Amino acid sequence: MNARTNESWLEDLRTTGPVRDAALDDLHAIVSKGLPYALSRWLSPDDPLFTPLVEEVSQETLLRVLDQLDTFEGRSMFTTWVHKIAIRIALTELRRKRWQDSSLDELVDNEENPAPERLMADPQAGPETSTERADMLTRIRRILDEELTEKQRQALVLLGLQDLPMEEAARIMKTNRNALYKLLHDARLRLKRRLAAEDLNAQEVLSAFESR
Amino acid sequence: MTQPQNDTNQLPDELIENLIRSLEHTEDKECTCDEVYAVVDQYAEAEFRGEDVQRLMPLIKQHMELCHNCCEEYEALLDILEKNDPA
Repeated sequence: MNARTNESWLEDLRTTGPVRDAALDDLHAIVSKGLPYALSRWLSPDDPLFTPLVEEVSQETLLRVLDQLDTFEGRSMFTTWVHKIAIRIALTELRRKRWQDSSLDELVDNEENPAPERLMADPQAGPETSTERADMLTRIRRILDEELTEKQRQALVLLGLQDLPMEEAARIMKTNRNALYKLLHDARLRLKRRLAAEDLNAQEVLSAFESR
Repeated sequence: MTQPQNDTNQLPDELIENLIRSLEHTEDKECTCDEVYAVVDQYAEAEFRGEDVQRLMPLIKQHMELCHNCCEEYEALLDILEKNDPA
């Protein structure tokens, strides 16, 4: 495989015929070689899903690269940009699958066992909790009730309580990952400003939470 | 007395604690996931070369502290750069 510059990658992929085919073959080999490193924290190479996933993602990556070729600005190596696209495709799929599997496990568990403890937990402080902690939690819950919009609270529940990946939570809320991040940023800013207005900061609140 | 519009009673203590912890990294101006995605390849290469990314791209670094999904994608990219390196 010839090492290409960014410019020659773009030139070869924009042409037609055997030159383009060779570039696509080379790119496929590069993505297929790199992906297992990216997936190593997620999936064992012995997992039966591993090889088909690498192939599926590699193919999808090539299609997306060709579609987005004009958006490459040359601020990194072309192959790093391609790996970035492959990772987004692969991790989106893995997160979706992992969440679906865990939801299914929870559903099966619930048929035979009580709901997970954290979902059943009494939101009020338990007897072992200090008064300072209990008071602070009550105060923060009141602030959250007053400051958060319904959508912000829904996002917190989906991401923090139900552990959904960003893409899945965004899909349920009929938005996208970017807008969801902005929604949560607005929520954090509102809380931060409200705490400041009440002469509190995050560190003080956390200290009170730690006083068990 | 009217009831509050929202009910946070279903939010467990741990989630509230994590939310408050995230306020320590919260800034008025933050990058969005799309803005991070646009430059994460450049950011990962800079990190791979040993450059001080916190100084060079502080908003990207700050986003990584708060966005688990973007951070995972960045770390996966860094894995490829490091393990593909023939050196």
